Amino acid sequence: MKIIAITGKGGTGKTAVAGMLIRHISTKNKTILAIDADPDSNLPDVLGVKVEKTIGDMREFMLQERDKLPPDTNKESLLESKVYEVLCEMPRYDLLVMGRPEGSGCYCFANNLLRGIMDKILKNYDITVIDTAAGLEHLSRRIIRDVDELLVVTDGSRRGLQTAERIRELAKSLDLKIKQMHVVANKVTPQNQAQIEEYARELKMDLVGIVPFDEMLAKFDLEGRPLAELPEDSRAMIATAEIVKKMGL
Amino acid sequence: MANEFPFEISPMFEGERVRKDDMFVELAGPKSRGFELVRAAGVDEIEDGKFTLIGPDLSQMQEGSRHPYAMIYRVAGKLVETDLEAIVERRNHDFQNYIQGYMHLNQRYDVWVRINKDAIKKGLTSFGQIAKATMMLFKNELSFIEKIDATYITDPDEVEKRRAEAIKIYEARDARTRGLHDEDVDVFYGCTLCQSFAPTNACVVTPDRISLCGAINWFDGRAAAKVDPEGPQFAIPKGEVIDAIGGEYSGVNEKAVALSGGEYSRIKIHSFFEYPHTSCGCFEVVGFYIPEVDGIGWVDRDFTGIAPNGLAFSTMAGQTGGGKQIIGFLGVGVNYFRSPKFIQPDGGWKRVVWMPKNLKEKIKADIPPDLVDKLPTEENATDLKTLKEFLEKSQHPIMERWTKEEAAPEEEAPPEAQAAASPGWSMPSLSMPAGMPMMPMQFGSGDGGVKLKFKNAKIWIERIVFKKGK
Repeated sequence: MKIIAITGKGGTGKTAVAGMLIRHISTKNKTILAIDADPDSNLPDVLGVKVEKTIGDMREFMLQERDKLPPDTNKESLLESKVYEVLCEMPRYDLLVMGRPEGSGCYCFANNLLRGIMDKILKNYDITVIDTAAGLEHLSRRIIRDVDELLVVTDGSRRGLQTAERIRELAKSLDLKIKQMHVVANKVTPQNQAQIEEYARELKMDLVGIVPFDEMLAKFDLEGRPLAELPEDSRAMIATAEIVKKMGL
Repeated sequence: MANEFPFEISPMFEGERVRKDDMFVELAGPKSRGFELVRAAGVDEIEDGKFTLIGPDLSQMQEGSRHPYAMIYRVAGKLVETDLEAIVERRNHDFQNYIQGYMHLNQRYDVWVRINKDAIKKGLTSFGQIAKATMMLFKNELSFIEKIDATYITDPDEVEKRRAEAIKIYEARDARTRGLHDEDVDVFYGCTLCQSFAPTNACVVTPDRISLCGAINWFDGRAAAKVDPEGPQFAIPKGEVIDAIGGEYSGVNEKAVALSGGEYSRIKIHSFFEYPHTSCGCFEVVGFYIPEVDGIGWVDRDFTGIAPNGLAFSTMAGQTGGGKQIIGFLGVGVNYFRSPKFIQPDGGWKRVVWMPKNLKEKIKADIPPDLVDKLPTEENATDLKTLKEFLEKSQHPIMERWTKEEAAPEEEAPPEAQAAASPGWSMPSLSMPAGMPMMPMQFGSGDGGVKLKFKNAKIWIERIVFKKGK
């Protein structure tokens, strides 16, 4: 059981990297849970999955319905069932979307139930891949606990790596007990590769992989085609396979 | 014992999920129908361990198919009674999840079961094996069960027919559950989930008082405390009754000292004015005393306007939260309005003089019928003047308190205090209830400044802190 969170500055292509990682790992004989924990992201689109309801919807359902339920309803078991209802079961992986953020009421109890439920669900998978915004929400609230590795996606810019630096500090201050942090440089061109490697060395980041700018990926993106359909021998997928190997997944 | 079954049985399999890829069959669940039911029966009615199946068995089911599914158990024993049915029924979820390769979710008419292919490969062929294992666990774990039998149904028509009967049983059970009151139980539950931002707050949850966040009722407390007694929800033995009306219990007081770090030592669960329950900050609704009419107004989190006392929810919430006993403000959950003990020492519903329209609509069915039209909202009253006018015009029962105060002879009159926090307008003097400590007052709000008038008052103040507002 290994939990990997993928994050990075907006626009760096972290969701594309997450999608490609999930796509590659799912070809191996392992059970995978993909979690979309970024309200701005579109992991389901990247994977080519249509999602109707989210965990946020179910948490809201609990808040709306709680006074109407039979008084002795076991709410943990009810919410657990609701979470399973929104779990998209794909042929080789499952996908869970966290969805809408909390409203103005008190979410202490609902979130506390959710923590226990998520702990239980995660134990069922060999690998969990979480696509999360740079603010690390859901991780900070401990809805998803015990993340083993953090993978920060950066593009060819210095700012991307500075974000990585900030995320490292944030993870430390949140006391997330992450065992390892890696950086993946995405959309890398022959012109900026040496510079990125230099930046990473300066900031003492473990540059675990370099995903080259891939015409085919750009075309898929432009046409809105799911990256799950990218051929294994495309440049981006070859680079992804390399990352998976290096991380020992 | 367990090796008579082709599967392992252990709590370690709890939370084991059967994925669609690995699933042999799906039973009941969101895309089909089913239920689980436990009934108490006479010892002579039951043949112990008997299993009946109505409909096709596992071995007759197609891989990947979905079927309706009902599980009915009858239990008997000297100590078995109807009231125990729900508690026993709930354990079906636990015990069935001990079975390797068998996933049981949810409860009652929402059950959802999956069996994985591995279990079938290892020799699971019949629901009889599942039922026998479950019955064995019931008897092992719940020693008061002397005899048990089981009927499982997979026939669609029979499931429908029996499900309709089961729903009637659940409804009757719910009616009994709703009739459970503070005096019927020996244990309340405490919650310290919010102590991170209100370190001295301790929520006391009783059958007649839901947590002020509205999320935790007495049954939730019981369920959580059972799973993790050291967790944020825990049992509080009631102890001796000190004040049945106010809701003061020796057990709760003892716990109050410990949980608040000595901040307070008495709690009256249903009282607004005397040793009131503290608030973390998560309350759905805040009650506020309006001395000018000697009544209590309520404002909920969703109301963005200004209450007749000139304050917004957020301002009052700031005063109420923080885990202190604040006289004059009280945080509650919406469901507390449905409690028969709702602020009963303070006059209950008769003391309620204002609430926002949306909140009123939400709980309309639970407001005493003769009060519904007499209770103003922001449409009828926006300040103290219009509030008093409306209350007078509608003959609100709060007026009885006014006449009583006016009729009281001078020498017996309680200390009079008049606080006019609203600028430019003041009510004719009405006294505070005897022995009532002062409510916290807003200083410096509004451009009319502060006017305080005390007559024949004894005031003892330990500490006053003035803070400059932002």
